[in-house]
Amino acid sequence: MTPERSGATGLRMGIDVGSTNTDTVLVDADGSVTARAKVPAVADLAECIDTAVSSLLVRGTVDPAAVCAISLGTDRSQDSVDAGADLRRVAVLRIGAPLSGAIPPMATWPAGLRSMVDAGTAIVAGGCELDGTRIAPLDERAVARFADAVAGRADAVAVTAVFSPVDPADELRAARILADRLGPVTVSASHEIGSMGLLERENATVLNAALSGGVEHTASALRAVVRRHGMDAECFLTQRDGTLRALGHATRFPILAIGSGPANSMRGGAHGSGLADAVVVDVGGSRTTVGRLVDGFPDESTSPYTIGGVVTNLRLPDLVVLPLGGGSLRDARCNGGPLATLTDAAVADGRTTAGGVGVPESDRAGLARRLARYDQLLAEAVDRIGLGAHGLPVLVVGGGGGIAPDRLPGIGRVVRPPHGEVANAVGAAVAPVGGTAERICGGRPDLLRRAVEELSAEAVDHAVQAGAWPERVRVAGVEEIPLSYLRDPAVRVRVRAVGPPLVPPRMPGPPSGRPGVPSRSPARSPR
Amino acid sequence: MRCYVLDVQLSDQNIEAYALGCAVLGAGGGGDTPVGLAMARLAIAESGPVPVLPPDGLGPDTLVMPCGLIGSPTIAHERIWSGQEGRQLADAVAALHDRPVDTVMCYEIAGANGLLPVSWAALLGLPLLDADGMGRAFPEMQQQAMHVAGVPAGPLVLTDGRGNDIVLHTANNTDAERLARGCTAALGGVCAGALYVMTGPVARSAVIPGSVSRALQVGTAMQRCRDGWPSALAELTGGRVLAEGRIVELERSSGAGFTRGHAVVDSGTTDTRRLRLELQNEVLLALEDGEVVATVPDVIAVLALEDGRPIGTERLEYGRRVGVVAIPTPDVWWTPAGLDVVGPRLFGYDLAPVPGSARPVATGAGRDS
Repeated sequence: MTPERSGATGLRMGIDVGSTNTDTVLVDADGSVTARAKVPAVADLAECIDTAVSSLLVRGTVDPAAVCAISLGTDRSQDSVDAGADLRRVAVLRIGAPLSGAIPPMATWPAGLRSMVDAGTAIVAGGCELDGTRIAPLDERAVARFADAVAGRADAVAVTAVFSPVDPADELRAARILADRLGPVTVSASHEIGSMGLLERENATVLNAALSGGVEHTASALRAVVRRHGMDAECFLTQRDGTLRALGHATRFPILAIGSGPANSMRGGAHGSGLADAVVVDVGGSRTTVGRLVDGFPDESTSPYTIGGVVTNLRLPDLVVLPLGGGSLRDARCNGGPLATLTDAAVADGRTTAGGVGVPESDRAGLARRLARYDQLLAEAVDRIGLGAHGLPVLVVGGGGGIAPDRLPGIGRVVRPPHGEVANAVGAAVAPVGGTAERICGGRPDLLRRAVEELSAEAVDHAVQAGAWPERVRVAGVEEIPLSYLRDPAVRVRVRAVGPPLVPPRMPGPPSGRPGVPSRSPARSPR
Repeated sequence: MRCYVLDVQLSDQNIEAYALGCAVLGAGGGGDTPVGLAMARLAIAESGPVPVLPPDGLGPDTLVMPCGLIGSPTIAHERIWSGQEGRQLADAVAALHDRPVDTVMCYEIAGANGLLPVSWAALLGLPLLDADGMGRAFPEMQQQAMHVAGVPAGPLVLTDGRGNDIVLHTANNTDAERLARGCTAALGGVCAGALYVMTGPVARSAVIPGSVSRALQVGTAMQRCRDGWPSALAELTGGRVLAEGRIVELERSSGAGFTRGHAVVDSGTTDTRRLRLELQNEVLLALEDGEVVATVPDVIAVLALEDGRPIGTERLEYGRRVGVVAIPTPDVWWTPAGLDVVGPRLFGYDLAPVPGSARPVATGAGRDS
């Protein structure tokens, strides 16, 4: 269906580690799901991955060597911030003095989280105005002094300059000075993480740096499983924009993986249905998540995203989450269990079949009312996410999908794609590798044109660094969003490039008519 | 030694409620509050609570400095303040008037503009006047009660927070608005400004009294509510709930410093009442089935039904459940002179102003001729 999937001539494996289950699928070069497994999730991520892969490969029908790409989706980064666990100590450098001193770095963080992450902060001279005019020359000596002051205390560094989305030069220069003096610590630069809004972008950058340790653990766990099972596959992590990044690149941007779960479900649902524009309803055990796919990618929210009490300007998929799902099947009435669940309601209503016991007559009136209420909330959520666009199809995925009705008011049709129960793993398996580039520039047409050209080249470059097949990367979208409340127009331009993953060559080789598989680039590390 | 009436002070205990009140009274205008709230918190932590002084408490020889943000709130989110702005404004104003500033005042109670002067007052060690110039958010600087009272806006001081100050001596308040906008662009798109600087006795009759305590009262009440925010807000302010329902239509465009468009709220449970809101940065008109039910200068506030938070016009979303409340504005805006600067015609609507709720003051005087 999508051109991306044909990049792999072998099998692609998708793994989604959720809070309840780990889902795994294998997808062949034609995009068909050839194997799937669902195992209960445990606390240890490495164990989750290993169990899931084992259960898929144990059947003996799959040759591990035929697996050419493995994509892992996990929201463990989010858990890590919420729990304050596995976070690195971060030195936070802001460039913008004499401006910005009224709210120093991390001044708005909850004290507990700050005490775990803060390894020293400083504000040094530099940065620019919206039109690119320098606020002050970058104080390189102050950057060096800061590096010396935090050496030995900080495991990672976050650098944020005022208006770096307009001109990232000071961030890049400071990052180089810090790397030279501090050696092998992770340096996160804000222009690669977020957009306008200094404090929110800085917060996101600090969190990204803090998460860089945890994501490395995830990466090594995945690599170990791959080796143990005799696979020679390229490894990827899923991102919240519905794309993949190769491990070596993804570990630099752990924060971009937060929110990837819903993105994977949406893409997986779309894959099985052949739809690229749809509302996707993902019904789990305890909640229902409603999102929107636009041209194959998750629609993004405009609201700021708060994580662990820290406000960021990360743009997560725009979702409505209902605190209602199918319930635990094991405990359901239709399985002889003690709980009257919405799955029981759907069984009583004839929407789905589950369990073997049937639903007691005495429960039916109450269940019918709960199901009607669910239908109403779902219809409203679908309408809100679909922006009232009548006729938009609705894709129902997830393990509890049976409780969703076949008809919703104002909806064209309800589609239940094949393998919808493991849509998140399917989405991880089939996603393209992506790269983005973003900048704020003046609204003059010539400036805009030049920015789009430069950013397109940059986005393609980023996609290749993230592990895309260089010959087959294409620009998938150009966004131009005018900034509001400005006297002189300025535009935020964002370009996204995607391509199939570049994977190790397989026998019997690429299908005829395509260029030969290029040799693997020796280094995936970014510039 | 000066003596203040310490009825109220803004402290770490109530600053969040006050910020919520500023957001509600601003109906989403005046800039988002988080940056201003963080600054006020930090300044209070550093310098202590800010005493709030009723206008009646102003002595004869005192100097009042109305101040706030001028320019683009969007840029202010990136170009975070240096923290020196209040000091720079106060020093420049003192030099112009040959005496020190005694009292800081918000020129606009709405949003960030209700909070920045709090942080500056704290750092300067000065009280904040329990007053403002608008009682809500308005886009232009001559839309101030002081203008209606005949107080000159100039000489006004603008500072960019990194050492550049501009002093404007202006012929009239309309020119002051025009020239200040031009200077703001040259100062990076946003700056701190002090304008309508006046003595205590002039302030007593020229300002809108009680704005700070009103914001605090509204914010405190809204924080305590668990649901039913629209009716609570209407009751508290003497206003009226215009609609509770979902946004079923939204058209909005941004550009040239403005957000324009309209939204339709469908109450749609028992009846099919549809309330149409006309937007220009703020909500300026509300029409029910074609009939105008509220106009500027009353505040038309849109609140999220799930948590009672005000939603600015930029953040309105299709399908959201909202409550719309008309909040009466101070009487000065319903006088003929007030309506000359803030009435619907000033915003391009050729219609007579309609108060959103019953007003004790005869509004006949307010109808445009």
